[in-house]
Amino acid sequence: MAIAIEKVKRAEATDTWYMPGILWGLLLTFKSLVLNLIDYIPSVVGVKKRQIMPTVNYPEEKYEYSPRFKGNHVLTVKKDGSLRCTACMLCATNCPADCIKITASEHEDPSVEKFPIAYEIDILRCVFCGFCEEACPVDAIRMGPEWQTPGVNGSEFIYDIKHLAYRPQLKGGIVSVLDEKERHEAGI
Amino acid sequence: MLKSVTSSGVAAPQATTGATSPQAKMVTISINGKEVEVKEGSTIIEAYYQSGLDIAHYCWHPGLSIAGVCRLCMVEIEGNPRLQIACNTTVVAGMKVNNSSAKVKDAVKWGLDFHLINHPLDCPICDQAGECGLQDQYMKYGQYDSEMGEQKVKKHKVVDLGPRVVLDSERCILCSRCVRFTDEVSKTHELGIFNRGDRAEIGTFEGKPLANNYSLNTVDICPVGALTSRDFRFRQRVWFLKNAETVCTGCSTGCNVKVYFNKEGLFRMKPVYNPNVNGHWMCDVGRDTYKFVNKEARLLEAKVVSSGKSQEMPAMELAKKLGATLRGHGTSAALVLTGSYSVEEYEAIVSYFKTDVGTKNIYHWINNPETFDSFDGLLFRGDKNPNTRGLLEVLKAQGISGSWKELVDGIGTGAIKTVVVAGPENQANFPDMKVKIAELSKVAKLVWLTSGKNAELDALTGDVALLPVKSYVEKAGSFVNHAGLRQQVDRVMTVVPGAVSLTELVDLMKEVGDAMTVKSTAATETVPAISANQIGQGRINNEFTLSRGVW
Repeated sequence: MAIAIEKVKRAEATDTWYMPGILWGLLLTFKSLVLNLIDYIPSVVGVKKRQIMPTVNYPEEKYEYSPRFKGNHVLTVKKDGSLRCTACMLCATNCPADCIKITASEHEDPSVEKFPIAYEIDILRCVFCGFCEEACPVDAIRMGPEWQTPGVNGSEFIYDIKHLAYRPQLKGGIVSVLDEKERHEAGI
Repeated sequence: MLKSVTSSGVAAPQATTGATSPQAKMVTISINGKEVEVKEGSTIIEAYYQSGLDIAHYCWHPGLSIAGVCRLCMVEIEGNPRLQIACNTTVVAGMKVNNSSAKVKDAVKWGLDFHLINHPLDCPICDQAGECGLQDQYMKYGQYDSEMGEQKVKKHKVVDLGPRVVLDSERCILCSRCVRFTDEVSKTHELGIFNRGDRAEIGTFEGKPLANNYSLNTVDICPVGALTSRDFRFRQRVWFLKNAETVCTGCSTGCNVKVYFNKEGLFRMKPVYNPNVNGHWMCDVGRDTYKFVNKEARLLEAKVVSSGKSQEMPAMELAKKLGATLRGHGTSAALVLTGSYSVEEYEAIVSYFKTDVGTKNIYHWINNPETFDSFDGLLFRGDKNPNTRGLLEVLKAQGISGSWKELVDGIGTGAIKTVVVAGPENQANFPDMKVKIAELSKVAKLVWLTSGKNAELDALTGDVALLPVKSYVEKAGSFVNHAGLRQQVDRVMTVVPGAVSLTELVDLMKEVGDAMTVKSTAATETVPAISANQIGQGRINNEFTLSRGVW
């Protein structure tokens, strides 16, 4: 029995030569450069707004995300400015990243009964899934629009009540849509 | 998990008849088409529990009288045109019962709707959520949309019934379990139902708060979140907690309990049914015994103080050093034991002192001899040690009978130079702690084995060594209660990673003394101090502690 011999076609110089590929890539780069320049010059003189260039000059320019963007958390407040959160811990239960830590305590007002004395989110562990927002029965936690949150050390990434509910950007706090008093009066 | 110990030392089979005596006459009835043999005179609901079938109910509790107020345990009995309540109907031979027909299901469903008419549904802030009868039974038997169009009746919230129990009247469904408990079990009659109709509320009488030593049982048997524990309130959601069965070490009754814990420590204790020990209940004092186990109260590292210098070291290192000093030390060494440790540990350390150290100077530190025999008539005993009886049996079997006076005299004359103290686990139960520390610290070298921190011990100068030992949830072992019942428990969790049990301590000390000795547990070598006929029936499983339980 003769052994079948397969002739393998070896790569030739034209196949292994990388220059054509690089040149082809550079062509694309130069095309974008020229197009962007054509597009950029009128915007510098103020004739028209730039449209084609896909990148932005961060941080001078900022990208605008949709209003449904799930960014850093916000704890909502009641009309009187106190926290809406009832410390039921459903967000902590639902959190897949295990980044929410709540310490509950007894409120002096029996109609409030339970409230958080500490609410901490370890934002570096957070995966921004929004499950906390979904689990919340009283609209106490929302995912806000912020996404640039630098910090210089680890402790700055653990957000406490002061940051989550009353940071300056929130201008005194976001009021929850669910009001406890109205609910009580409605007999719920 | 807790192991059952019977006279043969084997795990007891799941006894389906509970405390039923073997002579009881049995009758055969049919439940949901299944033939079941039950004890004559038992009720239909008991027959359901004995046969492992589900039945809805709130007010019935196996440890209380029958009230028949919740009307949820409806069953259809063949030949009877109307539905009957299972809790208050006695079985008759040949009876055909079912709770699976559409008629029964409908009755239960709308019965539930009535219960929930004025219930606030504030589950998110209710401590009972996760172990609530309303939640469970709604999911099992309800799942309707409420047809209630009226406003809910507002009642009192956050009412202090007593030092330990908080009432929320809105959540209450008036099953009257708590009222019956104070009337029948604690016999203190603090609770009552006041007003009528949908304004009815649970309450106490003026100047008579719910302050008996069994008040927290009302929280356990409350099927909803109306009664909550002041101590546990808002500290954890129950679904974050794991649980395990063990024995309470608050007194010599040895109630079977469940401890609830997570990685932060223990949070609460609840009784587990055992007809031979505690029935369904436990006392409030016992429920606080988890507190001395948690890390904040514990000694974390071994500490050696000598010539004014204090040094921390791992417990294992200190144990090995101790072994080197104690081996062959002879009669100038002494051992002081308290009733907080397990039988296996006593056997190990006593035989170590007898054989390896070579001394019979072993003494029993009794914390409150004058109240030792007192008993409140229900569960709580004056002997606030879990294992005094086990200790005495071990000492007797090893032929040791030292009196405390001998020890004090020995220290005074200088005949005893080294004292090893297996100190109390729950220091709150040892009012003479200060006195004894002062007395024992006169010795040349004091070694104190303790699970908890103690300011007086820390303040000692002299030649002192403190060694952290495991608490009762961190080790396996058995405890002998006041009646001679030996109960075996398994390890639940680790609180202090560096702590050692007395058995482990002995093993560590032995290894130094004789490096060639095969590592062994002393307990397995020695003859058990408690003879077989003294081992009564320990924990048993029965119909009420099956997986679903009774709230």
